[in-house]
Amino acid sequence: MSTKINLHELAEKVIKLGLSFGADQVEAYTIFGAARNVQLERGSIRKFTDVSNSGLGVRIIKNKAIGMASTTIFSHDSIEKTVKDAYSLAKVTPPDENFKSLPEDTRPTPEIKGCFDQNIIELSVEDFTVMILEGVQEAQVRDDAIIGGSFTAGSGERFIINSQGIDRFSKQTSITGYLGVKIQDGDDIGNAYYFDSSKMLADFDHLIVGKEAGTRALKMLGSQKIESATLPILLDPDSCMGTISPIISSGINAFNVFNRTAYFVDKIGDAIASDKLSITDDPFYHGGVDSSAFDDEGVIPQKLNLVKEGILSTYITDSYTAPLVGLDNTGHASRGSFASRPTPSTYSLDIKAGETTKDTLLEDLKEGILLIGSSIVDMSGNPQISAQINQGFYIKDGEVQYPVKNAMIGTTVFEVLEKIEDFSKEQQNRHGHKSPWMLLSPLQVSGGK
Amino acid sequence: MLDTIEKVINKISMPSKDFLDIRYAYAMGESFTVRNGRFDSVSNQTTGGVAIRALIDNAWGFTTIVTIDEESILKAAEKAIRIAKIGSKFAKQERKIKDDWVFEGKGMTKLEIDPREIDKKTKFEKIIQTEKAAREFSDRIAETSSTYQETHSKECVINSKGTKVENENHVVRIMKNVIAREGTEMQSVFDSIGGTGGWELIQKWEPEKEGLEAAGMALKLLSARKPPSGRMNVIMDPSLTGVFVHEAFGHACEADAVIAKQSVLENRINKRVGVEEINVYDDPTLPGLRGSFDYDSEGTKARKRVLVEKGILKEYFHTLETATALDMEPNGSGRAMNFNFTPLARMGNTYVDSGDKSLEEIAELTKEGVYLKNSYGGYVMPAKGQFYFSCQLGYFIEDGEITDMIGNVGMSGMTLEVFQNTYAVGKKWAPEFLGTCGKQGQGIPVTAGGPDIGVSGIVIGGSQ
Repeated sequence: MSTKINLHELAEKVIKLGLSFGADQVEAYTIFGAARNVQLERGSIRKFTDVSNSGLGVRIIKNKAIGMASTTIFSHDSIEKTVKDAYSLAKVTPPDENFKSLPEDTRPTPEIKGCFDQNIIELSVEDFTVMILEGVQEAQVRDDAIIGGSFTAGSGERFIINSQGIDRFSKQTSITGYLGVKIQDGDDIGNAYYFDSSKMLADFDHLIVGKEAGTRALKMLGSQKIESATLPILLDPDSCMGTISPIISSGINAFNVFNRTAYFVDKIGDAIASDKLSITDDPFYHGGVDSSAFDDEGVIPQKLNLVKEGILSTYITDSYTAPLVGLDNTGHASRGSFASRPTPSTYSLDIKAGETTKDTLLEDLKEGILLIGSSIVDMSGNPQISAQINQGFYIKDGEVQYPVKNAMIGTTVFEVLEKIEDFSKEQQNRHGHKSPWMLLSPLQVSGGK
Repeated sequence: MLDTIEKVINKISMPSKDFLDIRYAYAMGESFTVRNGRFDSVSNQTTGGVAIRALIDNAWGFTTIVTIDEESILKAAEKAIRIAKIGSKFAKQERKIKDDWVFEGKGMTKLEIDPREIDKKTKFEKIIQTEKAAREFSDRIAETSSTYQETHSKECVINSKGTKVENENHVVRIMKNVIAREGTEMQSVFDSIGGTGGWELIQKWEPEKEGLEAAGMALKLLSARKPPSGRMNVIMDPSLTGVFVHEAFGHACEADAVIAKQSVLENRINKRVGVEEINVYDDPTLPGLRGSFDYDSEGTKARKRVLVEKGILKEYFHTLETATALDMEPNGSGRAMNFNFTPLARMGNTYVDSGDKSLEEIAELTKEGVYLKNSYGGYVMPAKGQFYFSCQLGYFIEDGEITDMIGNVGMSGMTLEVFQNTYAVGKKWAPEFLGTCGKQGQGIPVTAGGPDIGVSGIVIGGSQ
């Protein structure tokens, strides 16, 4: 995959073309990636996939109006048409007076270790398959366990160039995989999944993916409906991260803050959570799955304290939103794809651990719900949360009684943060995303009984 | 392009037990969003490439390329065959495709007014006026946006069994989203119209009326009563019935999930899954809806699927592979998002058919409960048969009457219990859920709907 020179030339060509058409500013975002995927069905190989994931996104500014175009086709005609399309759209779009400029950042690109692994590039399909089948073996906790899943090994290069002097290149590898296990005793179904994701082959634990998926499925057998009640909730590290991360990412995103739909508008310096909560965001964590030396506009980010002892420290910004909220550009621009306009998003959150052991948190629960890989989130984006318990257990006198089914939690993002009672001293580190166990004071639980 | 693909297919010798298909897919789209008085995103997207799939000795190999000359396609086809052969060394289950199903033809969306002929400023005006009307309604309106999207796609597929199909599809949509805020309380209203077709589908959108309606509803929701908590009787409106029949029931009817033993509807063909009044169909041949098409991405002719008749499960959604495996007929359900993905068993336009009760009659039968409306979407765990949906709003039902409004809330239930616990089916079904269905990373346009239906034993996740 020696595309560096070609991709760079392609991006430079885009800048020149755009300026020659009459653009005020131009940005080219190119990615070139390849991914090998193995899909499993009923414990056996179903499909091998080998695909390229490449594309070009062009952003053109003309008289403060922004036009964007993208393509997956890298021919000369297609590139020229894409630039023309972006320019034509910018010409007919009304100006956005809030737009200041594409970013300028000529600082040298910092090095982050553990982002590229030649072993992933050289991993043969046969060796990859053998590794996956070892994971499946671990998941086979019973002869009749139904195992499905998908594993992907990939690599990608990214160039970001703009007319204001940004010129960045990065390359990375990744390996991800999940297994889902279903176990059935008549109408009683135990169903669970587990995943791992890493940039380095040696850090990827295919055996734990199988083992966790299998043992969790067994534990989900015998689920029962419960009565509605107000109960404390204990969240495992995945549930804690899955709950806190979307609240914080959306709540302090400067785009939402400017639009006044963020949860924490005008709250910098104010308490937004229990004083137990402290969170940092580290873009430079070595080997982090979401670490990056520069953001999706080419700006070098900062490691930030987001929340300290419950007090909100800052918002996360990009080149467009930083001036709108009166902060510096924190380098948090993120694109859903090469075709998307960037908006701010976090990198790798580190939720500070507490001082109590996780066992003590559980043992001290007279009655409550334990969530495993099951976050308290809502689809609406509103602060009101009405969330289903996907993998939860009823706790009585400090002991797990049975898995619950058909139950929900009704609360708000504010109540969740206020009701953080404690964190465990143990902290799970999922390749840069660090989270302890979290105990919430009683919340409303709707039962199906 | 069809000729180039045909030349490649003809150069590859495949034993009849094996299978190869080559699919070219090209799509061009535009998307414009106005948010809070400014153009937030104005973009044009092009995707194009060739997908090659080989099924050799029980394993699939799949490759894609973006260069579309004969030599490149041939090399990619050889690669797909090569990796399938590696997979076959590890495959334990039998997997094949019958020779019986060969399709030839050309499908095309009916376009009355080609949106590509409409001036961009005309398109802009629709969303500018919608957003402006909503924004200026009240200072408690925090965020307003309106989006216009159009996509024009071409697909041609040839396979080693003899299928040769071309498809052309056009999808348009216009949306509005309004968020009202008072202190820490926020409420959102979202709605859209559109489908397969042209500008004629967008013309009926009255921007000012749409903007004002959304803003007015968002403000009303700010002062709505808090939703209740617990298990209760629920009336689902056509949008929610649609999201249930799609997310919970429809996904469980996808034959790939059935074969993978990840569906609660496995082994339930010709068995009762609902009360006598329940009839469920999926019909991609209905014109003008988001999930309408003539041929699927495997080249199979689309047809109406009878999923449930008088409460009895009758049919699954099939690809060529799943139809072979279950010894059933393919029904044109193999859909792929673009060239970079393989076709999966997917839905089109899924709906519960009409019954005989008015909304007032259903409320009377409900006695105490909630009437929930307009879904934000949801998700389902098909293997476990448990679902979750988020609703924009609703009303209390007290003493058989629809009373006070409630704000957004989630609902959860067990897939197999809903149609069994249905006590009333409304008089007229409507395709009110316009969605983009996600499965294995692929988003495809769908429509779903139904009438108002009354169901007992649904869990509502309110905070009181």
